[in-house]
Amino acid sequence: MLSLALPGTSWAHRLPVGLKFGALAAAMLGLTWLTAPLPLAAALAATAGLYLSLGRRAVAEGARALRPVLWIVAFIAAWQVWEGVPMLGLVLGLRICTMVALANFVTLVTPLPDLIALIERLARPLARFGLSPRLPALAIALVLRFIPVLRGRMELLALSWRARSRRRPGPRLIAPLALSLLDDSDHLADALRARGGLAPRPATPPQGRD
Amino acid sequence: MDGSIEIETLTLEREGTRIFDGLSLRIGERRVGVVGRNGSGKSTLLRAVAGLIAPQAGRLRVAGVDVARDRAGALSAVGILFQNPDHQIIFPTVIEELAFGLEQQGHPRGVARERARAMLARFGHADWEERLCHTLSQGQRQLVCLMAVLAMEPRWILFDEPFNSLDIPAALRIEARIAALAQNVMLITHDPARVAGYDRVIWIEAGRVAADGPPDAVLPAYVAAMQAAAQDEPC
Repeated sequence: MLSLALPGTSWAHRLPVGLKFGALAAAMLGLTWLTAPLPLAAALAATAGLYLSLGRRAVAEGARALRPVLWIVAFIAAWQVWEGVPMLGLVLGLRICTMVALANFVTLVTPLPDLIALIERLARPLARFGLSPRLPALAIALVLRFIPVLRGRMELLALSWRARSRRRPGPRLIAPLALSLLDDSDHLADALRARGGLAPRPATPPQGRD
Repeated sequence: MDGSIEIETLTLEREGTRIFDGLSLRIGERRVGVVGRNGSGKSTLLRAVAGLIAPQAGRLRVAGVDVARDRAGALSAVGILFQNPDHQIIFPTVIEELAFGLEQQGHPRGVARERARAMLARFGHADWEERLCHTLSQGQRQLVCLMAVLAMEPRWILFDEPFNSLDIPAALRIEARIAALAQNVMLITHDPARVAGYDRVIWIEAGRVAADGPPDAVLPAYVAAMQAAAQDEPC
């Protein structure tokens, strides 16, 4: 399966997960305050610098993860130019790209179990209402985990379409995509259940037999 | 404690179709093969034994654990390898995939990681730790699944068609690995040659046991029936 992850032990991987997500939240807030293109361009450049500091593979992964967003940004920018406010289009485009790139960066350098542990910690007050903190933790982690799977699934369906058609697939793939995702979620549910699912974890691990 | 799989008058329906109606089996052998055609119910049986689906009626226990209800207990009783490793792997990197099950068993994160590392080293793949699962080959991903299950030290390991979509060396390798396991094994296949050396073979047909016994007694009849079916049913 595909996934948005960059295994390694770089400086960014070693930062505490709480710090990474705290900084990300602060950066997101900050970016909504910036309204001039120049500071936003600087922010995008700084984000690119973050990727560069991790080497060529990080840059490639980041670019790959950003590509679907670029289409949306191009669409918005074109719309703003059409409306006669090209500067607004530039500001929006820069802001969206920087935000998504930053979020991707944090996701790439955060091992999924670290993220699960963080959410579990944050969701601990929920235990008072009888809700296991592991529930939202696994749920959020799995959503993040499955975004790239969604893209991969779409590509497979498009390939399968093109193998039998001369035209581009377009929105007609959405229904089969939804169905195949339901199928995927069944498999995921099985995989989770096979390893204990969301049952409360035993307080004492089993004693090894060998 | 007896480590057997005990199935008593099991009734199981899926999406309105009755798959098993009063099936009873007691399985305690070290190597058990389950053969049958597609749609015979063998995969459903395996999933029920793993506790992934709950029966409508009857009892199913593995090593004394009610596997469908007691999920925490089931983890030490039985582990399963799905036919498609991609349906099993949840986490992006190999070490995370191996450690997850151990955490689910209640091991603290550090211990889970340590044990996961030890398992990788045992199979000579310490370098896979930070590899992304999706970059591994089909056979390698299957091995990741096997290591993840072994790390949890269940008494039984269930295999659902483990040789499908593997090339010949990879299939031979997994066959040798299964043979070397200390655990009890229950393996589903439609290929009689794969279970010829097993202690017991159960042939399932339309949700019922068509034959059950040592391979020499079951497999010849199974092969004959499959050949007859090929001639009787025009495609």
